[in-house]
Amino acid sequence: MQSNNSNRQGLSEDQARELSQKILGFAKANHTRINISSGVHGFTRTAINRVTTAAATDDINIQITSVFGKRVASVDTNRLDDASLERAVRDSEAVAKLAPENLEYMPELGPQNYAGIDGYYRSTGDLTTESRARAASLSIKAAEAAKFIAAGFIDMHAGSQTVATSNGLFAYHSGTGVASTLTVRTPDGLSSGWAGDEGSDWNTIESDRIAQDAVEKCRQWRGKTVLDPGKYEVVLEPTAVGMLMLRMMNVFDARQADEGRSFFSKRGGGNRLGERLFDERITILNDPAEKNAETSPFTPSGQPLQREAWVDKGILKTLSYSRFWASRQGVPPKPGASNLIMSGGDAGVDDMIKATKRGVLITRFWYIRPLNPRIVSFTGLTRDGTFLIENGKIARPVTNFRFNQSLADLLAKVEMLGRPTRVCASEDSTVGPPALVPALKVKEFYLSSVSDAI
Amino acid sequence: MVFRFSALARLCPTLSLLPFWFILLPIMETKIGRREFVKLAGAAGAALASGGLEQTRAFQQTAAPGPDAAEKELVLLALDAVRSAGAAYADVRITRGNFEFVGARERQITAINKSETFGIGIRALVGGSWGFRATRDLGRDAVAATAKEAVAIAAANDSVNPVKTTLAPVTKVADGRWMTPHQIDPFTIPIEQKAELLFKTNEEALRVKSVRFVASNIASIRETRLLGTTEGSLLHQTFLRLSPNVNITAVSDDNSDFQTRNAALPPMGRGWEYVVNLQMPENVLRWAEEAAMKLSAAPAQAGLWDLVLHPSHLWLTIHESIAHPTELDRVMGYEANYAGTSFLSPPEKVLKKFRYGPSFMNIVGNRTEPGGCATCGWDDEGVAAQSWRIVDKGILVNYQTTREMAGWISDLTKVRQSLGCSYGENWAAIPFARMPNVSLMPNTRDLSEDDVISATKRGIYIEGDGSYSIDQQRYNFQFGGQVFWEIKDGKRVRMLRDAAYQARTPNFWNSMALIGGPKTYRLGSALNDGKGQPTQANAVSHGCPIALFRNVNVMNTA
Repeated sequence: MQSNNSNRQGLSEDQARELSQKILGFAKANHTRINISSGVHGFTRTAINRVTTAAATDDINIQITSVFGKRVASVDTNRLDDASLERAVRDSEAVAKLAPENLEYMPELGPQNYAGIDGYYRSTGDLTTESRARAASLSIKAAEAAKFIAAGFIDMHAGSQTVATSNGLFAYHSGTGVASTLTVRTPDGLSSGWAGDEGSDWNTIESDRIAQDAVEKCRQWRGKTVLDPGKYEVVLEPTAVGMLMLRMMNVFDARQADEGRSFFSKRGGGNRLGERLFDERITILNDPAEKNAETSPFTPSGQPLQREAWVDKGILKTLSYSRFWASRQGVPPKPGASNLIMSGGDAGVDDMIKATKRGVLITRFWYIRPLNPRIVSFTGLTRDGTFLIENGKIARPVTNFRFNQSLADLLAKVEMLGRPTRVCASEDSTVGPPALVPALKVKEFYLSSVSDAI
Repeated sequence: MVFRFSALARLCPTLSLLPFWFILLPIMETKIGRREFVKLAGAAGAALASGGLEQTRAFQQTAAPGPDAAEKELVLLALDAVRSAGAAYADVRITRGNFEFVGARERQITAINKSETFGIGIRALVGGSWGFRATRDLGRDAVAATAKEAVAIAAANDSVNPVKTTLAPVTKVADGRWMTPHQIDPFTIPIEQKAELLFKTNEEALRVKSVRFVASNIASIRETRLLGTTEGSLLHQTFLRLSPNVNITAVSDDNSDFQTRNAALPPMGRGWEYVVNLQMPENVLRWAEEAAMKLSAAPAQAGLWDLVLHPSHLWLTIHESIAHPTELDRVMGYEANYAGTSFLSPPEKVLKKFRYGPSFMNIVGNRTEPGGCATCGWDDEGVAAQSWRIVDKGILVNYQTTREMAGWISDLTKVRQSLGCSYGENWAAIPFARMPNVSLMPNTRDLSEDDVISATKRGIYIEGDGSYSIDQQRYNFQFGGQVFWEIKDGKRVRMLRDAAYQARTPNFWNSMALIGGPKTYRLGSALNDGKGQPTQANAVSHGCPIALFRNVNVMNTA
């Protein structure tokens, strides 16, 4: 359950206020901004059916941004004694005075109104090494029982973020995040299965189910055979969708579009706001208040973040505008997304398989990198469970594929949508930007070459 | 695996420690410093010939600074505390990282940041299990408590899951000192001078028609590492690294197309003289002209092509398809949940048997190469820097190891000591197996780039790296580039665009037909080689000559 403010990892609101006021007290610049992040990061790793490493690190980072006119510089330090803090302020101011002007600099903000969001869960913040080791040993036992080999990772963060400016702005947020993922392989190295969860709340992490799913996926993928590359109908599990869609989020930027270097650029100038570009069932949101996917309600410069639809029923509804670009274009500023929430439908992965005559079921991806920004295309590979679907049934496990695929094209060719769920969508399975996405059935996904990797 | 982090996020390590409820720089904001690692072009590269590359030991510099007395005392205090708490072994590191970033777009500054991160990390072995605890708090009591917690974490793991761990022997060094060889400390160069260099570079680029945007930046890094071990080594090292970057965008008149050209300047373990020698304002014109030329270049035709790969491109192919699969921990399954395993498995079936490539293919792992980003005096377990063959005359002969891993293959390799591949990103990160510099040796004959191009009847010449991706066992890869040129009858004839090649590692390296001589040898580097959970960044370089590959599958990415 979410807690009151006491006994949290990282600086408390009072501590953060006191520290930022102290630093602002040293400042002599026209304007000064203080950003503080503090907290604990812990993890436990397993491999070859043993706990390989476990660790905890605590840190407090302070960033001081000093402004003289349009001359701006910042200094980061993790030294908290008064002498070090004052030295950091002096250093920041000395560099700022000598800095060339940043013509796009926008004045520091004064007090703002923020949504009251508490993203801190004691279940995560108080998670001990022993609890993580117990959860890890549970996955090892499940793998051993199946005569398989487990490699897993449990990652937790707990801490707080603060922004304060010499114009009187003060913003504080504390939050937690936790992810647990597991890869299970056969001893001969010929099959691999993966499962994982991510959330703000450790109590939503289903360690038993993760172990069972990864073992089962590994069991099912044994005996894979080659399938020719080509364009296939695909059923993408939610993790696979999240891994792709997180890469879509930085495309929703007005400046890139207006400057002619984005998929959202309009031929002849301007952008494609208001155009219907995707399937009408596609809605893509940001919402810092989303339960178990909470984010800070403010940006590093202190701008409020709120619920925002980037795509509404297939129509490009919103692009992010930096404060500079907004003033240039005469529109209100709009910060970029802090999390990714996609609308869905009510189809299960099983329903999608049933509705597929010939296609490929994909568990997740790996090494996704941009290919062609003009069409938002990416390359990458399938991993840890890839299956041929024929006549509404899983026909057989198949080898992995490299894909070369435009995400804009994918969003236009959606056939079925599942129920949105929080996924662990970062490639390294650390707690990433929260992604709440559905499974998707998509037409004409380009699996361009076979990979022998397992 | 190489990441493209925002340079700013990478230079502020704590942003990556606690990024997730904030605006997420690595994913959501790619505008500042899109490319954090870049490659070498221009005259400076010629200075980096491969001489001395296969020397067996790094030079110990008597002139390198030694440890601060207070820091040394804290390390000894922590070592006492872990001993009395019952650790079988421990290493203690105090690191201080100083980063300076100056970024500009077009005619203005976009970011100036200086950051410092300072703290202590303690790794302890109890039974056979590891525990790691790190803190920014360098008070005596906090350090002693942190040491005890490291032991407690290890003990908790060992009670749940007892295992056996054997560490290979290491030579004790009681007062070791090392510093990156350099002429000019980059931190002595005023920020205004760095900004002025970027402005001049951008201004020159913007003179080219259709070039509308140019972003450039310089990151300067200084890091000190003080390592103490319960076996009695105490080592102090100072690293200097520089990462310059220029990225140019040309846009067609009607906004229907845009093309970028990155200058491909590698990060380097050198002093400011490296940046001076790059002559960015003089060389940027060529990069800008090539950005504009890409708008009207002919589309690459898909099919089988011979490829002539410039070192500014080939380094990354080596990184992904040779350096990563020869990491012994991934071969043994330690990285199966993320970075993956390796096709070079099991060792007893491939060591001294697997043919990686032709008989003129020699791959060296080293921490000794001048300018190399992974070059050092000792690794994070106090093992002296060394150089060894990974591929000898085309055959796989060794992997990369740490003290824990050396014994796993010593019966096969007859090497009992660690090859010195332990590295943790900074005080906050646990050391584990990370790659050294892994380089392809040049031809012993003095073949020039023209000689290699002349040997190509129908091919594509690729400079700089573009999109890159490889599977988790390092078979199937696909690489783009910055600039593509068609070669016809031994001559570069015209620019092509939108090309990428896709291949399977053993087939690709066995298709290598010709390599250039020592004068074509260059280093390519990354400061953001990613591995581990959570991902840690490793700084590494890969040297290689220009090389010709036959009949590689090329695709068009448009």
